[in-house]
Amino acid sequence: MKQSAEVVRIEHATRTFGAVRAVDDLSLSLSEGEVMGFLGTNGAGKTTTIKMLLGLARPTSGVVSVFGGDPSDPATRAKMGYMPEIAYYYPYLNARELLSFYGGLCGMDRRTVRARTDELLETVGLAEAAKRPLKTYSKGMLQRAGVAQALLADPPLLVLDEPFTGLDPLARIHFRELMRSLRDKGKTIFFSSHELGETELLCDRVAIMKQGRCFYQGPVRQLAGEGERNLERLFLDVLEKGAVS
Amino acid sequence: MKTFLRQIGALVRLSFVELWRRNDVFGLLVLALALMAPLSMASPFGASGASRYLDEAALLLIWAFSLFIALGTGSRLFPPEFESRTVYPLLSKPISRGRVLFGKYLGAVSASWSALAFFYALYFGSSLLRGGSASAEFFQAVALHFAFVALAVSVALLGSLLVTPSANLTLSAIALTGMFFFGRRLPEYAETLSAPLAWLTRLVYAVGPHAEFFDMRQRLVHGWGAVDAGVFAVVLAYAAAYSCVCLALAAAALKRRRL
Repeated sequence: MKQSAEVVRIEHATRTFGAVRAVDDLSLSLSEGEVMGFLGTNGAGKTTTIKMLLGLARPTSGVVSVFGGDPSDPATRAKMGYMPEIAYYYPYLNARELLSFYGGLCGMDRRTVRARTDELLETVGLAEAAKRPLKTYSKGMLQRAGVAQALLADPPLLVLDEPFTGLDPLARIHFRELMRSLRDKGKTIFFSSHELGETELLCDRVAIMKQGRCFYQGPVRQLAGEGERNLERLFLDVLEKGAVS
Repeated sequence: MKTFLRQIGALVRLSFVELWRRNDVFGLLVLALALMAPLSMASPFGASGASRYLDEAALLLIWAFSLFIALGTGSRLFPPEFESRTVYPLLSKPISRGRVLFGKYLGAVSASWSALAFFYALYFGSSLLRGGSASAEFFQAVALHFAFVALAVSVALLGSLLVTPSANLTLSAIALTGMFFFGRRLPEYAETLSAPLAWLTRLVYAVGPHAEFFDMRQRLVHGWGAVDAGVFAVVLAYAAAYSCVCLALAAAALKRRRL
């Protein structure tokens, strides 16, 4: 059986801000084609971990590598698409101009950007609002613009920070379908979320963080076979007791 | 190289779009048009003195507007990215921080230059209508003004990464207008002061942005002719060197910035 290639490797990574250990001795790995949900309460260290994955923050100690490279190297980041939790994209641009801007940053040629833009605006349901300035967009529409910019260069790894925030139920269903189709295309997806239901539906594995430390890491499907335990129960156990047996 | 050009092109386009869609800049351009049009129609009965006053007023206006645009554009390059959190998707793209800074600087400079070119086109048009003509000192004055704008943007950009936006605008405006009006008098003034203040004044003179080097208004208005080519080249080199130092410091500040 073919062994899946390792896409993300975090080994004993610690990130401190003064006396605060935002991430404490975190180790996890993500294989090609895998979808991993990254759970935890506010301040658990999820966003700091994502920043380390994107090369926006360096670990104080330990190793973070993506596709075997240093994420602070632009060549490594060329293989990643990132969607932030909240971003109030340039209000004076419209969605088409936004994607053209990000396409340029990715070094894509104009023709490819135009073709991808048409395709993605259709996919995320912004085709009709493509020429409206972003300042007129709702939060959910900005989220969808964020998804489009993350997918623009068709990267093999997607890092999504709270992707379900601000989406209405219909958009949420649509986004779930999009995530599934991306998974089926072999994309590796790492996303943080507070939405346990969505995480359970979409993920192969989950990691649960509390106060900078990872207390659980394992497959979601296994949970269903453990009697009454589901992801919500597991999450609460981790928060209450720390490590889970 | 292609990737580099595409990335820089994207950042430059962003600055252009931002500048030309900003209501305050658009208002400034309309104001310039409204003020310059009557100047061009003014008929001072052939009195050259009155015509010089009009020229001087128009040029001062161009300097004030260009400073406003250069500082406004330079100081807005990064703070809104941090506030709106677009800095995360921006820096998660395959582009280094240094390149982002360079591209944004080029964008801000070229966008400010486009506004300055508009002002000088108005001025030149009004000058032609009053019987003026293109002269070597006019082109020198325009070139030095463009160089000054590039320097002013770099000062505002550096400040935007070190202090708060309002403090940056205030400090940059004070430094540049202070040097513009009083820079050439600082060495004389230092002579009149006692030791610690004199040293401080000399230090300000040594490191301050010498806006007054770029001011050729009097030559232009009074027709004193072009400056020596060597002096002109040295002033351009000063602008380039000063801007490079500001950009290097800004790059270091951006690299160290915690995101």
